[in-house]
Amino acid sequence: MEIVSSYVERAEDRVREAIISGKVKKVPALSDAQEEELALYAIARMIVSCAANRYLINRYAVAEAKKTSDYLSSDSSAHPDYVDAVAAEFGIRFEKAGAQFLVPLGKYLTYTPRSTDYKLANREVAGGKVKVNSHERVRMLEEAVKKKIERELPIRASFPAEVKASGARVLALLPKLEANVVKVGQENYPPCVRRMIEELALNVNLPHTARVALGIYLVKAGLPTDKIMEIFRGAPDFSEKTTRYQVEYLRTKNYSMPSCSTMDSYGVCVAECRCGTPLNYRANVHGRALKKEEEEGKK
Amino acid sequence: MSSLVASNEEKFLRKKFSDYYSSSAVAVRGLEKREFGFGGWEKKIEFRHLSFRNETELRARLVAEAPLYISHSVAYYEFPDERPMPRKNWEGSDLIFDLDAEGHSCGKFTCQECLDRVKADAIKLIEEFLLPDFGFSKSELAVNFSGSRGYHVHVVSDAIYDIDREARREIADYVSGTGLSFERLFWNEGKKFYGPAPTQGGFGGKFARAFVAKLSDDSFATSIARKLKKPEEREKLKGAIERGNWDNIGIANRERKLSEKFEEMKLTMAGRIDANVTADTSKLIRMPDSIHGGSGFAAKRLSSPDAISTFEPMRSAPVFGSAPLRVKATETVPALNIRDFSFGPFGAGEVRELPEACAIYLLCKKAAILA
Repeated sequence: MEIVSSYVERAEDRVREAIISGKVKKVPALSDAQEEELALYAIARMIVSCAANRYLINRYAVAEAKKTSDYLSSDSSAHPDYVDAVAAEFGIRFEKAGAQFLVPLGKYLTYTPRSTDYKLANREVAGGKVKVNSHERVRMLEEAVKKKIERELPIRASFPAEVKASGARVLALLPKLEANVVKVGQENYPPCVRRMIEELALNVNLPHTARVALGIYLVKAGLPTDKIMEIFRGAPDFSEKTTRYQVEYLRTKNYSMPSCSTMDSYGVCVAECRCGTPLNYRANVHGRALKKEEEEGKK
Repeated sequence: MSSLVASNEEKFLRKKFSDYYSSSAVAVRGLEKREFGFGGWEKKIEFRHLSFRNETELRARLVAEAPLYISHSVAYYEFPDERPMPRKNWEGSDLIFDLDAEGHSCGKFTCQECLDRVKADAIKLIEEFLLPDFGFSKSELAVNFSGSRGYHVHVVSDAIYDIDREARREIADYVSGTGLSFERLFWNEGKKFYGPAPTQGGFGGKFARAFVAKLSDDSFATSIARKLKKPEEREKLKGAIERGNWDNIGIANRERKLSEKFEEMKLTMAGRIDANVTADTSKLIRMPDSIHGGSGFAAKRLSSPDAISTFEPMRSAPVFGSAPLRVKATETVPALNIRDFSFGPFGAGEVRELPEACAIYLLCKKAAILA
């Protein structure tokens, strides 16, 4: 396989930008740059595959997906077919319903983020279809692109030496970021919280609701913002500025901790600790252990 | 751990179960892609990761081993007997709704009240959610009695075949109304107040339709506003709501009242389905038409979703017949009616000759021994 080296360089820039800033530069659609754009995209995928690192892949996926949605939201008024064409790639058909769209239930659930805004219980659901507006339609496609890249990469193949070298350089960007995954005194945390922290360390994209719950817990557990930031740093779409703002926001709002049943409905409850709320876990577990000791002492 | 020597009761039941499986066919959709689990006297699942190539093979095993409980995965796998789980290569799953009377305080024996309540729940699930909202067709629904005191609804559809746990959890949450927020059905924007039209999908539409229907009820109407005593006022309000207009409807404290009415109408199925079962893509669930070892009843498959309304579990689900069998109660047995035979109450230590269906029910409940 022969690849023009200037392309490899530019593709590497694209990957670097995605990893560092979380964004990929926009190229005007349907211009002469299109073919080149496709080539760069293909090479970028190879570079990321060579680096073969989950964090890198997920973060790259987030950036590419964001770019797609930027394209679609700015160009869709001029070229309504674009959105349909991208949707068709993922086997999704949006049916027009006035100013809104109907999308099949299964696709809706697969390609919407798990957040309160998209909670199915609050949506118009009928005949196996869910109503979405045009912004939400694009957001679904963004999610679809992200999931597709996360699923497809790394590509297992042998690549030209130039691409491999580029992959190694990109990978070298990482240690600084990953070394930050913290060990906090986790052994006393409830299983759901421990699990979320572990998943973040593995660069799993936690749903928004789970992140909020984790944030509230850590704030209430008395962790300083900087420590909390370090935990969230593992998120593939981590942004220093946004996360800091959100953690501080949780702190000032003093939200109450979601109950165990709410955690369960977010899909993050992993055990039956019978605490009512994750905040009671420490007191409960230690309380029960103490009680047991006392009882055994009496025997 | 179970004791090494099987009790007489266990041996007896296994013999009976084996006879049953040797004389009745088994039919499982996608059998070769499912994982099976067998249970015994002590545990409902003792062995899992089992797989069978076809119905003959499965049936031969059931006749030979006569497990007291038989479950199969809701999932279809490439390699159902591989372990650990990821090596099975999950391909998709049926969508399951588990309706159970558990939590009802009638104790270990089955009571008619529970059975009726769960049956009504199952009908509501099908008629108000699965068909209209999720758009499944009746032919995609397979309903069976659980063999104990509930029902299982299996949805077999391409529309949900490969959706993940989180997506299934959303579906369960929708049915239960978990995360449903009144502020998203009714809201203020500027000076205007917005609400749902009856033609709308989801809980908004459900509420608007129920509300309009309920307006014909005097006490409901006047509990909203006194002026609604007058039929012309009611008609005016109905007309407005049908156009999706909840603004300027002349009701004091309308937000509080509407949210109270929303609660009262019990449009959701909160607490009536087990969300964990629906969300679990690798759940093992009772095999339809197999015998439930805790009752001696079949997890009877209904011929169609409509058949549920006339299905009487205590009459139709017992597998065994009327041959007499002597048993001795080991605890108090309440008044029961199985296969139209009434028996009990009687106390621990009493010996009775009962039709097999009834006697086996008591043996399975571990409330009696062979006498």
